[in-house]
Amino acid sequence: MLENNKLKIFLDLINNSTKEEVIWLNGYLNGIVSNNQIEEKQTPPKGNLKKVTIAYGTETGNSKKVATDFAARAKSHGIHAKVQSLEQYKLTDLIKEEYFLTVISTHGDGEPPAAAKKFYDHVLRTSSKMDHLKYSVLALGDTSYPLFCKAGEDVDEQFNKLGAKRIAPLQKCDIDYDSEVSNWFEQILIALNGQNGNNASTIKQAPSKKIVGKKTYKGNIIAHVNLNDRGSNKETFHIEIESSDAQYLPGDSLGIIPWNDEALVKKIIELSSIDGKMNIEYKNELISIQELLKRKLNILYLPERVVKKYADIVKQDIPETKMDLLDLLKIYPVKDPDQFLQVVMILENIAPRLYSIASSPVAHEGEIHITVARNSFTIDNQLKFGLGSNYLSEFKKGEIDFYLHPNNNFRLPEEDKNMIMIGPGTGIAPFRSFLAERDACGATGKNWLFFGEQHFTTDFLYQTEIQNWMETGVLTKITTAFSRDQQEKIYVQHRMMENKREIFEWLETGSYFYICGTKDPMSKDVENTLLKIIMEVGSRSEKDAVAYLDSLKEDGRYVLDVY
Amino acid sequence: MVEKNTLSSIEKIKVKSDGLRGTILESLDNSLTGAIAEDDTALIKFHGMYQQDDRDRREERAEKKLERLFSFMIRLRLPGGYITSDQWIAMHHIAGDNTTGVIKITTRQTIQLHGLLKSRIRPTIKQFSEVKLDSIATCGDINRNVTCSSHPKESPIHEEIFGYAKKISEYLMPKTKGYYEIWLDQEKIVDKKEEEDPLYQNRYLPRKFKIAIAIPPNNDVDVFSNDLGLIAIIENEKLVGFNIAVGGGLSTTPGNSETYARLGTVLGFVAGEENTLKAIYEVITVQRDFGNRSDRKLARVKYTIDKLGVENFKAEVEKRLGFKLEPSRPYSFTTRTDHYGWHQNFDGKWYFTAFIENGRVLDEGQLKLKSALLEIAHTKKVVFRFTSNQNIIIGDILPEDKELINTLILKYDLNTHITGASVLRKNAMACVSLPTCPLALAEAQRYLPSLLTKIEAILQKHQLENEQIITRMTGCPNGCARSHLSEIGFIGTGIGRYNLMIGGDHQGYRLNKIYKENLDEAAILSELEDLFVSFKNTRNNNESFGDFTFRKYV
Repeated sequence: MLENNKLKIFLDLINNSTKEEVIWLNGYLNGIVSNNQIEEKQTPPKGNLKKVTIAYGTETGNSKKVATDFAARAKSHGIHAKVQSLEQYKLTDLIKEEYFLTVISTHGDGEPPAAAKKFYDHVLRTSSKMDHLKYSVLALGDTSYPLFCKAGEDVDEQFNKLGAKRIAPLQKCDIDYDSEVSNWFEQILIALNGQNGNNASTIKQAPSKKIVGKKTYKGNIIAHVNLNDRGSNKETFHIEIESSDAQYLPGDSLGIIPWNDEALVKKIIELSSIDGKMNIEYKNELISIQELLKRKLNILYLPERVVKKYADIVKQDIPETKMDLLDLLKIYPVKDPDQFLQVVMILENIAPRLYSIASSPVAHEGEIHITVARNSFTIDNQLKFGLGSNYLSEFKKGEIDFYLHPNNNFRLPEEDKNMIMIGPGTGIAPFRSFLAERDACGATGKNWLFFGEQHFTTDFLYQTEIQNWMETGVLTKITTAFSRDQQEKIYVQHRMMENKREIFEWLETGSYFYICGTKDPMSKDVENTLLKIIMEVGSRSEKDAVAYLDSLKEDGRYVLDVY
Repeated sequence: MVEKNTLSSIEKIKVKSDGLRGTILESLDNSLTGAIAEDDTALIKFHGMYQQDDRDRREERAEKKLERLFSFMIRLRLPGGYITSDQWIAMHHIAGDNTTGVIKITTRQTIQLHGLLKSRIRPTIKQFSEVKLDSIATCGDINRNVTCSSHPKESPIHEEIFGYAKKISEYLMPKTKGYYEIWLDQEKIVDKKEEEDPLYQNRYLPRKFKIAIAIPPNNDVDVFSNDLGLIAIIENEKLVGFNIAVGGGLSTTPGNSETYARLGTVLGFVAGEENTLKAIYEVITVQRDFGNRSDRKLARVKYTIDKLGVENFKAEVEKRLGFKLEPSRPYSFTTRTDHYGWHQNFDGKWYFTAFIENGRVLDEGQLKLKSALLEIAHTKKVVFRFTSNQNIIIGDILPEDKELINTLILKYDLNTHITGASVLRKNAMACVSLPTCPLALAEAQRYLPSLLTKIEAILQKHQLENEQIITRMTGCPNGCARSHLSEIGFIGTGIGRYNLMIGGDHQGYRLNKIYKENLDEAAILSELEDLFVSFKNTRNNNESFGDFTFRKYV
């Protein structure tokens, strides 16, 4: 009954005990058995040598965390699961896999994380048969987006097409995913253990549990200030939301679903000659057309797929291009209110907007701050604003709905570690959170902030706070780049080059390197500059510099939050 | 007067400043703030700049988590207020590129530009330097810009007297090369002996020092308001020398009864250039050695001369000079106002004095002063002189060029701007005050024009609109616009509140006195109306308003 080593310990114990001791042991064991105190320990199946790989594609670190959690769970069941990032996954290895589990998130309009793009494209393009493969997909996403968990769905469907065997159904998860994830773990473990993996296809294809959904919060806007001074080209709002129950960590984001412009909704209702006050049932809720269009449905830049459905409804040829609902209604009118109702049903939800949190839960207890730049642009000589940023720019006070979006990739390092933070424009937001948190907690690591904007006088976001952090020593160094204060444009990457020796020295002594702000071109310019610094100061070839940066990434010391 | 023995903090800053350099270079490099280090704010004055901030914007900027809107006022050194047309053109563009764009003519015949950001100081000074303009010692505890009666028609030897302003200014320049090093990237001086400064030593003066030269009968420079005033003595159309008046100064400190306004005392007469320069020099060394260095509020020459006694002060100066001052010669002032419009000097050149309200040159509404002066400068047929009344003289125009210039004057309505302004307005001045002056307690140049409109109406009601009455307003008792030397003086005490000062004379011999304190606009207007009515009914023949109020009310 007992395993060899256990038997040995047991026999040793008995052999080295006196008679009285053996009698006591006997009684003790009896007592345990009769009181039913023995936990049903799961016996790891002997000789379970299945080859299991769990690969993750992550943007914010959530998928990675799920994958490593799974590996830990599996280990306690005697299963060794190899954890791999899809970014580094060798595509040729797919044919060698036996059990292949994918954890993949979805971003924007149904896109996979940047790190998983190569894998995703490969899988979707390939036609090689994969009948040897046993797989399952865990898809992370956000139900607020129209193409919820699309990347996961695509991968799941494609593996199926290629002949691979699904050992557990696709599990989709919203922002708060704990219960869905453990449900999937259970199913996978059952599949791996119970069925020995041979007849996976016989597993009951139970529809995955209904998604619990994410927790939404209500908060009160208690401060709303345009940080840019008069005369600036920019409008950047510092918004403080009072909320006692929302728990977050520095690095997390806040999500909101913006509402559509009321005047625009009114025009749409006029054009469709429908009664805006008419209530209809929408997703188990009775709601007026007017409110539905204002608060829930996306009416701007409808994606091609929606335009196509619209064309089907109005029975017209419409070029497949993104269009506003208003323009569609003007050019290809609906014939009556009923037809408009059909259109309403094909509209997708307004996608949420994420903003890096600018406050610290310790320093700004009970509050969440965000930094929102009003995005403005001109189309046909008309000034237009981005929906989300405009919504928040105009939301000066009152109650707002939001949710929290954890960003496990973007976290403060240990308190004694140094950090370099590149945060031009609204990229400053999470670093304000970091610095406030470090200040409040008395962290000892050194902090170097790079900030950039157009003009010193009008656009130095959070200037007085940064000055205070310099005075109190929370900030070790601040380097600024104001692009339009002189004839030649100066950006943060130029300042990095000016400080190349010191930057490299910081990296060499274990500093973390963070970038937040616009993905293109800022974060790319910064990365290229960093590579250049590693090459120049670190006397490395380009290849070695890339390897140097890769190792920083692997150590979690080169971290991005870009958009 | 209680004199503490400890040196004031500014004294310590000056002594350890390494020739007024301090940490200005480091301050310029600090990209986190638009301000400079606190000690440097005292030193940068010697380079002709004041750090200021827009007080109107403090609260709003604080809410935006932005620091105060710091900027600098830069003041040029223009002895006698003279500038060439090329220099004017350069300044026009510098003002537009680097500052608020408003060219402000000061009450001391120079130009100051506001709103200069820290990062733009160097380029600005470099551009000035290219046209041989500098801002050395136009602020700070040192001899400031030297003023001189401005209109060339005052005397056939105006040019000779004006030459003194330039000589005195250069004679009293500090020896430090800090200005050139910091702002013009000149090599660092290795041998500090070159910089040894026998006049200022390493401590400079206890306080600012102002010199003016008046050419009687016009006291446009307000010669008695200066620490040292020279009154040109002309006999048989020859300059024979100067009466020297010492100890003038108008500024007082609110709530400090030890401070007072004082007019210069004429110590005597000195002849010849060499002796004149020496006399000035030794007045300064006496002030340097005897002036109060522990309390800056009591540090001007006026307190030193009263502390020592006029005779003792004079004796100390004469001891250092090695000769005695002669008894003062007779002179007489009859006016302080500018000669508006066209006038010709003794050798036939033409001069047009334009009216610039409060000295602010800008394009505003219909009146495009800045464009006008630029276009006139581009003819290269003129020079410019600023007056102590904050106006501008377009001058040195040859008879054959007069028509061309007049066309431009007519094009921009500079002539009708003079005739269109009331006598009251043309005799009025105000200091800068809010929002940039850190001392300001009330509005001045932003407010006076509208107040004058209301006073004009009252004067008209009583048929007094042609009276030559000198009105001056300052936002605090420091007297930058010489409000203590006016017939109607307004000295700000708080937002919207002014002390009403009357009893000063028209020529600038006599200080005015407080008549009513802390008045708001309604009270100002009703008090003035009562005075005007009384003036109209009970004045003596040809009695000026200042003399009348002095006789009846002060």
